[in-house]
Order: sequence, then C-alpha cells, then structure tokens
Amino acid sequence: MTKSRKEIIGIKSVSKIYNLGNTVVKALDNVSLSIFENDFISIMGPSGSGKSTLMNIIGCLDVPTKGSYKFNDEKISQMKDSQLADIRNQKIGFVFQTFNLLPKLNALQNVEVPLVYSNLNRYKRTEKAKEALKIVGLSNRINHKPNELSGGQRQRVAIARALVNKPSIILADEPTGNLDSKSGSEILNFFDDLHKAGNTLIIVTHEKSVAKRAKRRIEIFDGKITLDE
Amino acid sequence: MNRIINYLFDVVRGVLFYFSQTKLRTALTLLGITVGVSSIIAIMTVLATFEKSTEQVVADVRTNVFYITRENPIEVSFGNNNKWTRNKPKITWSEYEQLKRSLKLIKNMSAVVSEEPSDRTFSVGKKEFKSRLQSFWAADGDMLSLYKYDIVDGRNIQNVDIQNRSRVAIIGSAIKDELFPYANPVGKEIKIDNIPFEIIALTDEKGEIAGQSMDSMVGIPISTYLKYFGGRWNRTDLQLVLESDSIENIDNATDEAIGVFRAIRKIPPGQPNNFYIATNDQLMDTFGEFTSYLTTFIGLITGISLLVAGIGIANIMLVSLNERIKEIGIRKALGARRSDIFMQFLIEAILISVLGGLVGIVLGLSFGNIVALFLEQEPVIPFEWVFYSLQICASMGIIFGLYPAIRASKLNPIDSMRYD
Repeated sequence: MTKSRKEIIGIKSVSKIYNLGNTVVKALDNVSLSIFENDFISIMGPSGSGKSTLMNIIGCLDVPTKGSYKFNDEKISQMKDSQLADIRNQKIGFVFQTFNLLPKLNALQNVEVPLVYSNLNRYKRTEKAKEALKIVGLSNRINHKPNELSGGQRQRVAIARALVNKPSIILADEPTGNLDSKSGSEILNFFDDLHKAGNTLIIVTHEKSVAKRAKRRIEIFDGKITLDE
Repeated sequence: MNRIINYLFDVVRGVLFYFSQTKLRTALTLLGITVGVSSIIAIMTVLATFEKSTEQVVADVRTNVFYITRENPIEVSFGNNNKWTRNKPKITWSEYEQLKRSLKLIKNMSAVVSEEPSDRTFSVGKKEFKSRLQSFWAADGDMLSLYKYDIVDGRNIQNVDIQNRSRVAIIGSAIKDELFPYANPVGKEIKIDNIPFEIIALTDEKGEIAGQSMDSMVGIPISTYLKYFGGRWNRTDLQLVLESDSIENIDNATDEAIGVFRAIRKIPPGQPNNFYIATNDQLMDTFGEFTSYLTTFIGLITGISLLVAGIGIANIMLVSLNERIKEIGIRKALGARRSDIFMQFLIEAILISVLGGLVGIVLGLSFGNIVALFLEQEPVIPFEWVFYSLQICASMGIIFGLYPAIRASKLNPIDSMRYD
C-alpha cells in the first residue's frame, strides 16, 4: 500500500552527534525512515530518547551530522540556512506543545506570520489567514489576542497557522501536552479530519493514548528506532 | 519586492505596537536623540536668523560704501588680533587728505572717529541721557548720506563748521524722545561731557537692527571732536568711509583706493597691506567665517551628545532583543530567514532614531524661532539642517542597530523557542 504513494521524507543513515565538552552524545544513531504522502505517524519515546532531535531534523530546524535527508527529492542535508528557512515556511506546518503564538498579535495576525515571509501582498495574506481560521472553526475569534482565548482555541490558532501555507507535512510536537483531556481530544479529532482530507501528519508524543490515534507508530529509544508498524 | 514591502509594513506595525507597549522606555530612548537633534536645529535656526539680520544691516548701509581701517573691526571685536594692531600704523589726517586728493572714482568720502558705544554724558539742563549712547561719531564729510540718515529738521554739518571747529551736533530721534519729549530740539543746547553744543539737526527714526537702536546717535564735526575730546591732530586713528560713484564701480573704486593708499604709505610690491579695507561683502565673509567656526564647534558638541544617544539606542535594542528571543525563535521556525530578522531589528533601530529626530526637529524649530521672535526677526527654517539631521539619525540607527541586529539574526530557532 505504501509503495503507491509518493515519498515525502527520505531519511537515510542519519546520525546527530553532540559534543558536550568531554562527552560525545549520539542523539540519533544511524536512523533511516521514509514518510509517505497522507501518512499519519506518531513518534513516541521517553525524554532523552532522541525524538526531539528527530523532529528538529524532520522540521528542518536542525541538520544531521551524518547521513542524508531528502524532502520532496530535495537534499536538505546540504542546504544553506536561508534555504532551510524557505522549506520551513513553504513545506512544513509546525504545531507546538506550548502553542508558541506571539502574545502581542491577535489570532489573525498570528496566522499571517508565515505569510509575511512568503511573497504575498497584504490582502492575500489576510484572505488566506481568514480561510485557515475558518477551517479550524475560529472565524468569530480573529481579533482576539492569545490571552483572550482558551487553551484549545490557542492550539487551533496554531494549527491554522500551520495550515496556512498548505504545507506538505504537519509536524506536531506534544500538541495535547498543555491541554485538558476534553480540548485534547478535540484537537486529536481535528487531526483525524486533517488526515482524512489528505494531509500528512507527524505527531511527537509520549502518551500512548495519543500515539494510538495514528495510523503508523514509531518508537524511538537511545537514538534508534525500535518500532515501526 | 513584495517580500520587502510585506516586512516593511509588518515591521513598522510591529515596532509602533512595541513602542506603545513600552512607552516610558521608548520615550527615554527617543529623548537622547531628541535633545541632540533639537539643539542642532535650534542653534542653526538662530544662526540663520542672525545671518539674515546681518545681511539686512549690510544692505541697509549703501552697498557702494566701503571702509579703510587700521584693522578688521569684526576680528578686533572678537579680541584675537592685538599683536597685529600694534604693528600697523594708525590712519592719519595727512594720509586721508592725500588720499582724498588722488581718488577719482569716489564721490563721497569722510574721515570718521567713532565711539560705539560711548561712555560720555549727554545732557540737557540737568536731564541726562540715561542709557549708553550707541554711537557718538565725528566726521568731516557727509556722514548722513553715507549712513542713510534723513534729516527731519535742521541742516547738515558743513565745511565751515569743520573749519571753525564749531560746537554743533546732529542728534538721533532716541535722544530727542528722551531729552526733548515735547519740544523741537533744533537750535537748543546739548552738553557732551558738560561742553555745550548747538543742535543743528534731528534725524528721522531708523529703528533697530539686530537689537541695536540706530537712533541712539550723536554726530559732531571731526575737527571739533579732536579739539575737545581727542588727542593730537595727527595721532588719532581715523576710519575712512568711502562711497564710489556707483554700485557697479565699487570693485574698481576699491582697487583704486588700495593702490593709492599703498603708494601713500610707500608699501613695496609684494608686501601685504598694513591697513584693512572692508567692503560689505568682506564684512559678510568675516561674519560667515565666524558662523562656520561656531557651526563646527556646535557640531562637535552635538556629535558627542548624539553618540551618547546612539549608545542608548544600541543598549535598548539589546534589551529588546533579550525580551524577544522566543519571538525570534518562533518567527525563524515559521520561515523567517536570518536576513528577515536582521532587517526587522535594523529597521526598528532606524525608526527609533528617526522618530526621535523628527520630534527633535519640531522642538528645535519651535525653540529657535521663539528666539527669532524675541529678536524681532522673521521665522526661518534651516531646511538643509533638517535634512542633515534626518540623515544623521538614519545613519545612527544603522550604526547602532547593526550589532543587535546581527546578534538577533544569528539566534538558533530551537534554543530560542525554549527560552523564557
């Protein structure tokens, strides 16, 4: 089944090594992973397992020490800083545990932030941002600042921001970690909807209940993938 | 292009918002620049006003008039040429008479001794002129015509007065207003240092120029002055006032006067003049020289104050950088390039300093023109300095915003997003 779909992410023998003074830490040790279009993946592992490092590399926030990383057939491992920024801007939608909204900006302006860094005029930006907020069901909250919204609403603004550039993958790091169970399951239901609509999703989590929602589960321990099913 | 417009707009909006959140801090940062710029602008406004009023003074004295004096009067009044003055000979009566005989392009000429201001007493009966007299002069020629005074009543000083050393005086309207408030002074007596003089003429009111009354004036024949107030005839230093027959001819007349005077003093070719010849243009030039020294001096001081203000900007940008590490991390994660963050910070620094500059320009113009109003001058806007100030502010923003902007642009998105 996976063969018929397009490969979006191709990670081959990737290692990430940190030199902390005298000790050398292998955060990722010879990891290979392929992610295909419309995958719904969970990455699980205890803290210190290397899952954050893997997520940072997938998200083009970091580059591997060794190995190759292809994103839509583009060689990420050899890109310059500004090219990585453009990939993050155009191809990847981030959802964070702590939402990472800009507190001074209202919901609409927050969703517009990624568009500021793409070649769009103001009117198109506003139009697209409103569209994205409509998808997450917050059309009536566009002028609210983050501190005037509930946790679940903030995370939905963040999802709208992730969706606004129609990215190839959505990368969610503990998206329900700061939410109560009700808002958390709302967000997860929403991820299901996004998957059904054809999006590719990667959720990093340490909660089994969250991981179970994904169609493909990956577990990582000591910098190595220990489970992929 | 769109990208640039997008983030220019975004940055300006962001910065204005940021300013509104940190009003006190922004105001204090602006203050440094505002003070620096407003002092430049205020001083330049006042200087421009002075320049204008000096032009007015010089234009008021006929432009085909020029002077021969021992020393440049403006430089002497700034007190820096005592040594020179000692080495230069006084202009004597006999030199004046020789010159008068030889010059052909001069239609009117006078030797003058003047006390500006004069500390002598001027009184009528027991009533004394209270303030210091601005100008007490003595001449042999038609000074009224040279200095553009009109006679309201009476007659000018004539050759016979000079020959006889008559005790006659011409008075300005300020003297009349104070000493003869209700009477016609012509024909009455005025005492100068208790020596009685007959008033032969009253001049028309001329008003003030550069804060000095032109009407606080008394004039007498030069021979009379030398007899009663001066030293020996050939020892008194004279100023010569000359008028060419037309404005077009003033350069030729000046050249002629220089040539003849050098010949009288037997100065060999190649040696400098041991006298000073001043046309109105030269007076303006001297004033211009003075203002340019002043400008340099003021420039230095405001430069230092702007440097301090600039360090303030750099400091505040570093503080705001530390406060926004998380924001920078988020923006970078969402696709901001290094150059985007760099520009955001740089534009913010430029906006702060230009905004401070604009406030400074408004304050400086207001202050400078209030001074101009007190001096009864027309308001002036020194446009070039307004332009320079904005330029200086923009470059200060760039210079002092550079380091914080580079630091901000180099932040790592992963670590910055975790920063609290």
